[in-house]
Amino acid sequence: MNRIRRCCRGCRIAVGLASVGAVLAGFPMQALCADLTVQVHDAKGAPVEDAVVFAEPLAGATSQKTAHTAEIAQLKRTFIPLVTVVRVGTEISFPNNDPFKHHVYSFSPAKTFDLPLYSGKSAPPQLFDKVGTVVLGCNIHDKMIAYVQVVDTPYFGKTDAQGTVRLEGLPNGKYELKTWYYGLPSRKQTLSQPLVMQDAESTASFSLDVVRTLPPPLPGH
Amino acid sequence: MPSFGTLESRIVTLFLALILAGQGVAFFVIRNGITTNEQAAVRDQLELGVPLFRRLLEEKTQSYTGNARTVAKDYGFRQAIASHDRETIEAVLVNTQERIGASLALYIALDGQIVASTTKQAPGSLEQSILNLQDAAERDDGTAGVTLFSGHPYQIVVVPVRAPITIGYVAMAFALDKQLAAEMRELSMLDVSFLVSMEGNRWAVDGSTLDAEDAQKLADQLTMGGEKINGKAEDARPLELQSLQLSRGEYSTRVLALADGGDSQRAIVVLQRSIDEAIAPYRQLQLRLIVITAVVTVIASMFSFFAARRIASPLRDLTAVAKRLGDGDFQSPVEIKGHDEIRKLSVAFESMRGGIARHEQEIRHLAYSDPLTDLPNRARFAQLLQNAIQQSAGKTRTCFILMMDLNRFKNVNDILGHSFGDHLLRLVAQRLVDTVIHQFVVARLGGDEFAVLMLDTSEDEALEMARRILMALEVPMTLEEQSVDIGAGIGIAGYPFHGTDARSLMSHAEEAMYVAKRGGNEAVVYDPAQDKGSEQNLSLLSEMRRGLERGEFKMYAQPKLSLKTGEFVGFEALVRWQHPTRGLVFPDQFIPFSEKTGFIRPLTRWVLEQSTKVSKALSDKGISAKISVNLSTRDLLDQHLPDLFLALMEKHGVSAGSFCLEITESSIMDDPVRALATLERLHATGVELSIDDFGTGYSSLAYLKSLPVDELKIDKSFVLKMESDASDAKIVRSTIDLAHNLGLRVVAEGVETEKAWALLARMGCDQGQGYFMSRPIPVPQLEPWLAAWNPPVLTA
Repeated sequence: MNRIRRCCRGCRIAVGLASVGAVLAGFPMQALCADLTVQVHDAKGAPVEDAVVFAEPLAGATSQKTAHTAEIAQLKRTFIPLVTVVRVGTEISFPNNDPFKHHVYSFSPAKTFDLPLYSGKSAPPQLFDKVGTVVLGCNIHDKMIAYVQVVDTPYFGKTDAQGTVRLEGLPNGKYELKTWYYGLPSRKQTLSQPLVMQDAESTASFSLDVVRTLPPPLPGH
Repeated sequence: MPSFGTLESRIVTLFLALILAGQGVAFFVIRNGITTNEQAAVRDQLELGVPLFRRLLEEKTQSYTGNARTVAKDYGFRQAIASHDRETIEAVLVNTQERIGASLALYIALDGQIVASTTKQAPGSLEQSILNLQDAAERDDGTAGVTLFSGHPYQIVVVPVRAPITIGYVAMAFALDKQLAAEMRELSMLDVSFLVSMEGNRWAVDGSTLDAEDAQKLADQLTMGGEKINGKAEDARPLELQSLQLSRGEYSTRVLALADGGDSQRAIVVLQRSIDEAIAPYRQLQLRLIVITAVVTVIASMFSFFAARRIASPLRDLTAVAKRLGDGDFQSPVEIKGHDEIRKLSVAFESMRGGIARHEQEIRHLAYSDPLTDLPNRARFAQLLQNAIQQSAGKTRTCFILMMDLNRFKNVNDILGHSFGDHLLRLVAQRLVDTVIHQFVVARLGGDEFAVLMLDTSEDEALEMARRILMALEVPMTLEEQSVDIGAGIGIAGYPFHGTDARSLMSHAEEAMYVAKRGGNEAVVYDPAQDKGSEQNLSLLSEMRRGLERGEFKMYAQPKLSLKTGEFVGFEALVRWQHPTRGLVFPDQFIPFSEKTGFIRPLTRWVLEQSTKVSKALSDKGISAKISVNLSTRDLLDQHLPDLFLALMEKHGVSAGSFCLEITESSIMDDPVRALATLERLHATGVELSIDDFGTGYSSLAYLKSLPVDELKIDKSFVLKMESDASDAKIVRSTIDLAHNLGLRVVAEGVETEKAWALLARMGCDQGQGYFMSRPIPVPQLEPWLAAWNPPVLTA
């Protein structure tokens, strides 16, 4: 539960940042916007938490490559949060809150980096400048794993414990609504569906071909 | 080896049987144990072989997995993968392969594409095999399985490479080949063969500890029964081949399925245990057991043989001694050996030998000699005679025996006493020995009987010898100042004339001797004619005995009447023999013979018993009758007669006063002393005594006076002639007078006429009996006769 709560908080922060980013990007406020609520559930209809949901406008990226930051902390041999969704160009720092060292790395093509044994906040933040999935690990602790989904849209979020995420301020238009979930098979982790926003609040849902109740595939012993 | 009946052989047999039984049981129990053991051993080895093989495989797999994991976790390796640095990946794999001795190592991406491999060979089904293991590898951070690669079975381990999610797999394989089989063999003593299935349902050996030839055989035999082998590696219930025959004999097997390859190729491993090899140590043990059994049996047999010998050998010696003693050799002493029971037994034997030797001497002496005269006795004489006969047999030799019996010796003995008699016998013996030539044997046969055995003599010589003996005996013998005149009768019998054996010769000599004695002092040679008479007599005697038993004897009664009054006073009991074939036999035909043979005694008893019965019967009818019974010489010598008579009277309830016992003069004269004693005892019972046939003997009235008699019966010869001969009448008259003077009653026998009756009555004779009154009649006719009897009317 703790973890879930923390995840939620992390979500909110990210969403908050994104909103701020949108405001700062100077969208005309009068532009017609609406919120989108997306429900993600598994094959049995159970809510799926920590599924990344993002909407990519078909009209082209509205990307304002402003510097964003995020944080993936390590505490008690766990990456917090488990799933992070950031916009391209976000710098993520990896504060180590454990009393021992970690060696955070990624061999993902979207972002390959290596932070050899460090303590505290001594590791430099990493810039995630490519869209894609980055899997983080710790070379010391095989069980530690974290996912960073780098998206090229300001409309993103991740589901809470109820499997719900709310994407706010989506201007009218056509989108490709996508969800990425780490629990899906590695080559089909991203699902997408077309989305049209038309003034009104809208809802969408994803049904994942997983059984959420199963624990995520964690490294073996 | 002695026969089975001996103690020694029995001991040996018993020992041997025990040893053999014990050894046999032990042998079979152990052998059985060995057989069970060896079977169990083979089974156990195979049963253990299965897990052992799995364990070996597991260990190798573990080691490979460990190594593969190390590689998979290596940061640099993952980096190389991340950066698609194929050369580096390959270098790491080669390095690892060489380090751990794997057959091949490869890295395969998630999509199943082999990124790097240490072999250039086509992967074949390898890729698929790895993908098959992918899930298990993902789940368990590494897994293993058997795969077929280029037609050979391999144990393959697949380990995921995580960064940190799985990005690919490291696979390493080692061949299930001869080397592994050898390793397994090293551990388990089992032969191990890996086989793969070939086309046409055949099996081919792909590495084995067997040599090529046996491996081929195994493959062939598997091919024949191969359809059974279709198990998967997982359900690893080992199969068992029925039996496997290879060049080194029979094998027990377990078959394990290893892999079921994708393209229907399969791999199995066959664990084999050579039964011969497995049981070789047991065979060795069994051989040793047989040798030990044999050795122990031989040693024990020898031991038992010697032990039995030790026990039995002295016993055998003693047996020989006992046999010697049994044969009558009491002279050689018994050898005394040892210190145990055998010694005691030997000592006992020796003392027994001494004792028996002494006793035998005494017995021999007693048995063969007469203690009184020291002459050979009857038995010895018979023996010597038999020896003489045997010596004479077939040599035309003859030998004679003289048998003699002293006359009147009984009188001497009775009158002068036994010690005098003994003394006399010794003197006679001495005289005989002096008379007879030295080489002839003189023996005392018993009582006053002597015998002489003359070897190589003729009948004339024997007679001459008899005469000399009689002459020698004629010389009176002076003893204790008394001169005794003693004669003898001598019977002579000779071999082979009168008998061919000692027994018949002696018996014939005895018969001749009796003939001689009847004739006075003379010597008589046996005459077979004498024998005939004795044979007749013998048959007569047995007939009489039988007659008495069968009740052929009848009692007759001849009444006695008072001559004065004509009254019936009693009767004389007489015996008739109703012979079944001869008819009625009168007393003169059997009484003398009865007296001679002693049959008279049972006869007298019978008469006495009948008399008492009749007496009782008569008195019950109110008839008073005095019954007269005749006693013979032998009866008078019978000391039991008085008691017997008393018992009979008591038994039938009659008084002694009803009887009168009649005795002849001569019967008393034979042995006056004893006769007198018997008479006195009889008289004391109250019975009357009568002198029968008075006048025929030589006894004087004076002697009669000393006898306890009450009656005198005048012999019928006087009475019959009394009427015609005046002198006889005078004798009768004077006898009557004398008897009356002595207080005796007088009875006349042979009263046949009324005239005689009258005459006797006038002479004062008291009673009479005779044909005038009645001839002897059967007892039952007595009463009718009494009723009919009319006494004569006498004129004074």
